[in-house]
Order: sequence, then C-alpha cells, then structure tokens
Amino acid sequence: MKYLLISLSLLLFACASFPKKNNLERINSDTPAVINPYFSDLSMDYIYKAKINFAEKSFGGIFVIKKLGPENHRVVFTTEMGNKLFDFSFIKDEFRINFILSEIDKKILINLLRRDFTVLTNENPNILQQFRTLGDSIFFETRIKNNTYFYLTVDERLHKILETKGSKEKSDYIFTEIENDHAGEIKIRHKNIKLTIDLKAI
Amino acid sequence: MRNLLFLVVLIAHTSLLLAQESKMNNTEIAEFKAKINETSKATTTIQSNFTQYKHLDFLSNDITTQGKMAFKVPNMVKWEYTEPFKYSIIFKEDKLTINDSGTKSNMDLGNSALFKKLNQLIVNSVKGNLFQDSDFTMSYFKSSKYYKVIFIPKDEKIKSYIASFILFFDKEQADVMEVKMVEPTNDYTRIVFSDRLINKPLDNEVFTN
Repeated sequence: MKYLLISLSLLLFACASFPKKNNLERINSDTPAVINPYFSDLSMDYIYKAKINFAEKSFGGIFVIKKLGPENHRVVFTTEMGNKLFDFSFIKDEFRINFILSEIDKKILINLLRRDFTVLTNENPNILQQFRTLGDSIFFETRIKNNTYFYLTVDERLHKILETKGSKEKSDYIFTEIENDHAGEIKIRHKNIKLTIDLKAI
Repeated sequence: MRNLLFLVVLIAHTSLLLAQESKMNNTEIAEFKAKINETSKATTTIQSNFTQYKHLDFLSNDITTQGKMAFKVPNMVKWEYTEPFKYSIIFKEDKLTINDSGTKSNMDLGNSALFKKLNQLIVNSVKGNLFQDSDFTMSYFKSSKYYKVIFIPKDEKIKSYIASFILFFDKEQADVMEVKMVEPTNDYTRIVFSDRLINKPLDNEVFTN
C-alpha cells in the first residue's frame, strides 16, 4: 500500500502540469486575444530558405507559405533548383495533399509536417488560461488537435510557441528577427524526434 | 453581326500569333540539329550567369534566385546560387555534392532517380545535346528571335512530375538561352542564361564543394 501511494504520488508529480513545474503564476483577466500574425497577410508571399536536420542528415530547400483566405493557407516545399517536393493546403480543419514526391510520401513525415504547419499558420488560438513568470513573458495556453500549446508573448508580441505533454516540452517554434509582423527567422525544434527546421526569410 | 466581327478579330489575332511563332519543317529541323551539334561538339567549357524564376500560380510574384553555372566536358556541372542565399550543387561523375551556406552534404531530398534525370536533361540542354534522347517526343518551332523545342517525356513517372521541357535557343549562336520546366499543374521553373563564356579555361578545382 505504501509503495502504491509512493508510486501514485510519483506518477502525479511526473504528470504535473507544465505551468506548475515551471512555477508559472496564473493570471485572471478578460479573455485575451493572442494573434499569430506571421502568415496572416493575404498580399504577402512568405518565402523562406530552409535548413532541415533529420537523423544526422541535413538538407535544404525553399518553403513557400501563402494565405489564400480566412483559415486557408497553402504550404509548398521545393528544392533550391525549383523541384517541388510537396504541396499542402490547410483549409479550416481540412488538410489536403496537392502533391508529394513519392520518395518522401511517408505517413510519419506527413503527420509531422501537418502538425508543424497547422501550428505555424494558426492565427487566432482559442485561449484557455494565461500565466506569467518573473520575466516578461506571458504564457497563453491553448489546445490544437488534442495537444497543449503555450503561446509566449513579450509586449503583446508572439515570440515562441511551446508544445507540451504533461510537464514536459515537446516542441518549440521560435520567431525572431521580427519586423512589421514578419518573422525573419523561424526555428522549429522537436525534443523527442531528431528533427530541426530552420527557416530564414529571403 | 457582332459575332461575325468577334470571329474576324479572333482569326486575325490567331494568325498574328502564328506569324510570331511557327512550326519548323523537316529541312529546317535537320539544319537546326546540325547547327546545334556543331556548337555542342566545339564546346569544352561553359560559364554563364543565370536567373531562375519559380512560378507558382497562387503566388503574387515568382521566386527569383540568381547565380552562376559552370560546365566542363565530359560531365561536370556546378550550379552556384549567390542571391538571395549561397548554395551550390555539383554533379560530377554521377555524384552529387552540396554546399548549403557552409553546410556540406551529399544528401538531398531531390537526390532521386527522377531528379538525376532532370539534371542530366538540363546539362544536355546546356550542351545542346538532347536530340539523341529517345525518352522524349520533340516538336520544333521558330520565331524571328529564337528556336524553340518542346520535349514531352514518354516515361509516365517523369510525365507526372514534369509535363514538358521547353528550350529556347539563340538564333545566331544556336546555344541555349532559356530552359523552362512545366509541371502538370502549369507551375513552372524558368532558368534564363546571360553573359555566357564559351571555352574559357576552367580549372577542375571549380567543381569541388
């Protein structure tokens, strides 16, 4: 019984929420609006040079993201020489593969990319709670497709999205070199998979 | 009456277009091929600047990149992008090496049989040595400024990726001015060459990444 209690409390500790583990203080205020503006301009072509590291291998390419309407984004990846590797549409909750090169047509990769770009292009997350730390960041908690995310803002500007599981960080999406709602650099890091994506606006 | 007028205007326009670009006849095709072969045989090195336009229908503007291309017989090719990022890819003895702003690798998502074929095509087209390729159906056109050859792949796998290759040749020198790869969706990649240097000595060192 004693062991059971210890195990249970250990389990509870292990399952502690991310805010609790990181000593985040909950704030009660009106429903806040957090906006991810980085792919929100219909008139912009968002073009990024990408460096991808996956399991000790590295390769590059060009990411193209275009907003075509409300909750409607097109995401295309080509090689530097212009050969199309994949072409996805994100329309509301629908995900459509317009094209994928047969060599990379792998479910695990597609699901990963789908998740990353759903997060990156989601403009108005539905905020459940908000927290703050001793620093300047405000953490806004939301859920996207059964995963918990924290949107970190400083001076009302989004600079990081954290995906968490229990108390642990799973992935992060970092926006830097920000100017007029345009992120000059975006880094995507996955903790449990050896995949990093570095995007640099061109 | 209005319909008739419309028809007349339409026919006038169509014949204007035809006047700008017309199909070559068999004699012209033979002459053109001979000219290209002559140029190709005399070529040992090529150095050229290029501008690449990636056209995706849903974008407001084409993605424009620039760089330098170097070729040396028999089959060394370097594509060096300089703007807006530094990236070079070398094809040498059927091997591919990449230098992506300092990150070196010999692995590329595009390192598939399909892309090797595509590169081989571009190289052959730069050399002007494509007409022996039985993998394509070719059709020949001419205008006052250029010769144009459209290559349609016979292989279904390539065809599902690239619907056609279009090469534009300079009328005077008979060398390639432009390569256009059209995808089945009508998105395309266009590479336009400029400031070409032919047979200027080129060290093998150039082809190392």
